[in-house]
Amino acid sequence: MELLKYSINLLQKVEAVVCEDVWMSYKSFFGGRKLALKGVSLRIEEGEIFGILGPNAAGKTTLISILSTLLIPDQGKVRVLGMDAFKEVKRVRERINISSGLNLPWSLSVYECLKFFSLAYGVSNSKVEELIEDFELSEFRDIEFEELSTGNKQKLSLAKTFINDPELVFLDEPTTGLDPDVARKVRKKISQIHKERNLTIVLTTHYMAEAEQLCDRIVFLNKGRIIAEGTQKELKEIIGAKDIIKVELASKPSESILEKIGTAKNIHAFDVKDNKLLLYVDDSEKRMKEVLEILRPNWDEIKRVSMEEATLEDVFLELAKRG
Amino acid sequence: MKTKIWKELRKTLAFSYKNIIMTKRNFFTIFEMLFWPLISLFSIGLMGAYLDITENKFAFIMIGAISLSVIQLAQLDVTYVLLFDVWSKSLKYTFATPASFYHMIIGSWFVGILRGLVAFLALSLFSIFIFGFDMGRLPLLELSVFLLGLFFAAMLIGMAACILMLVFGRRAEIAAWTLTAIIMLICGIYYPVSVLPETARLVALLIPVTHFLEYFRSFYGFAPSFPNPLLIGFAQSFVYFLIFILLSEWSLKRARKNGMIMKLSE
Repeated sequence: MELLKYSINLLQKVEAVVCEDVWMSYKSFFGGRKLALKGVSLRIEEGEIFGILGPNAAGKTTLISILSTLLIPDQGKVRVLGMDAFKEVKRVRERINISSGLNLPWSLSVYECLKFFSLAYGVSNSKVEELIEDFELSEFRDIEFEELSTGNKQKLSLAKTFINDPELVFLDEPTTGLDPDVARKVRKKISQIHKERNLTIVLTTHYMAEAEQLCDRIVFLNKGRIIAEGTQKELKEIIGAKDIIKVELASKPSESILEKIGTAKNIHAFDVKDNKLLLYVDDSEKRMKEVLEILRPNWDEIKRVSMEEATLEDVFLELAKRG
Repeated sequence: MKTKIWKELRKTLAFSYKNIIMTKRNFFTIFEMLFWPLISLFSIGLMGAYLDITENKFAFIMIGAISLSVIQLAQLDVTYVLLFDVWSKSLKYTFATPASFYHMIIGSWFVGILRGLVAFLALSLFSIFIFGFDMGRLPLLELSVFLLGLFFAAMLIGMAACILMLVFGRRAEIAAWTLTAIIMLICGIYYPVSVLPETARLVALLIPVTHFLEYFRSFYGFAPSFPNPLLIGFAQSFVYFLIFILLSEWSLKRARKNGMIMKLSE
């Protein structure tokens, strides 16, 4: 019987978060209402690292705040770990945690801060020392929060996130404002914790490279709307471009070239940045000949041609352009 | 069951713990516990001595002065539970925990009682040595009941200030320092409520502190407005406590709907 249950569980995709048609608006300065989220729906499976990507003011923090019970939307349903996020708030909060911004009670030392949160979550103090050790904060144990470096503040904020052994954590821009070395360490730690504890992580970021490195699945959020969702591979396939051919010209590409490129069968999309031409293709090696053929009348203009794999940033920019 | 009670207790103690550390670390909290109350008592005592009033009338105003300081101090601790987080921009983390509003209030209120007792002892000793007025000469039970009433009142005022902040945001921070003064003004801090205009007197009778003060002053020969001031004071406190718990739930839900928690964390 147990084996059967286990097998059924394995077969079923268990969802950590289900969010359906969520709308959220804020009162604007001039009295009207500003829409922050416009009908957002998503499903996050247990055990995955799910990325919410988008530029500033896309609605990432609003969405993560709703999912972590800090905000109630104007409309929509949210289930977290199988519970109603608006009706079973306390039960949800016992099983989740959030790190959002580098602000913790200012006069509390590292130890006191973690002890305060262990008490507030109603869990034992034994986790405090373990987390201090785990996040390499022993040296700063008695240092007050406001005296910590930005990197250590982030470490403490992350350590606090694991005080209640959560099944689901929300990390809101965990590396923003950190220097590259600390940001790399933080990403490594997130990845390590995910592997060790097999928990679900929902992460917002505007660093596409960070999402590429960490996330299993991603949604792109732009102006309060989800514009695409999937694995990195699936997202690249949405725009039909896994590769980019970059052509640097002596001057801006002429209208006739752009027209030819626009009608070329195997060039899925293109972008012009000053004298550079970015051509999104399914396979750069296969399509190179066709591209060079189009550019033949302007042969003398070509300064450089290179091939690259499309990044999430390229995908996002293309999707944002399409609206 | 035992685990559940233990969890609830820990959640409450979290806020006592935070307030104690914040009090210990921030010099202004020590200042407000001793400096301002002593200055206030000293000036009121000197004024009483200059006016050459009767011993009972002198007791009347000294009780008012000491009570104001004790209530204000205990109330500030309750309000600080929210204010420290607002100032640290960490309010969202506190509200992301499974702790409830009442855990916050009761936990911080414990610290308020401690600070209030320290201030009460300091002020009582000061008034004995400087002005020869001994507030503690009453039997311990009566004095304890009176202080308990003041601490209940402080909790209610603190809750009101927290609710105002959740509804009106940072604009309402000022309530932390003004609410007690306004309420004490109506409750007859240095005068009997009978001297107030009719409407203000009616309002005063709806405030528990009025009845606690009248109870205590009855030992100094001043007749209370109602025969059982203590009972009325505690009954009113209980009713207001229930109302404020409901109001706090409403204000929290509202703050989650309109984003006030997030705004107070920025």
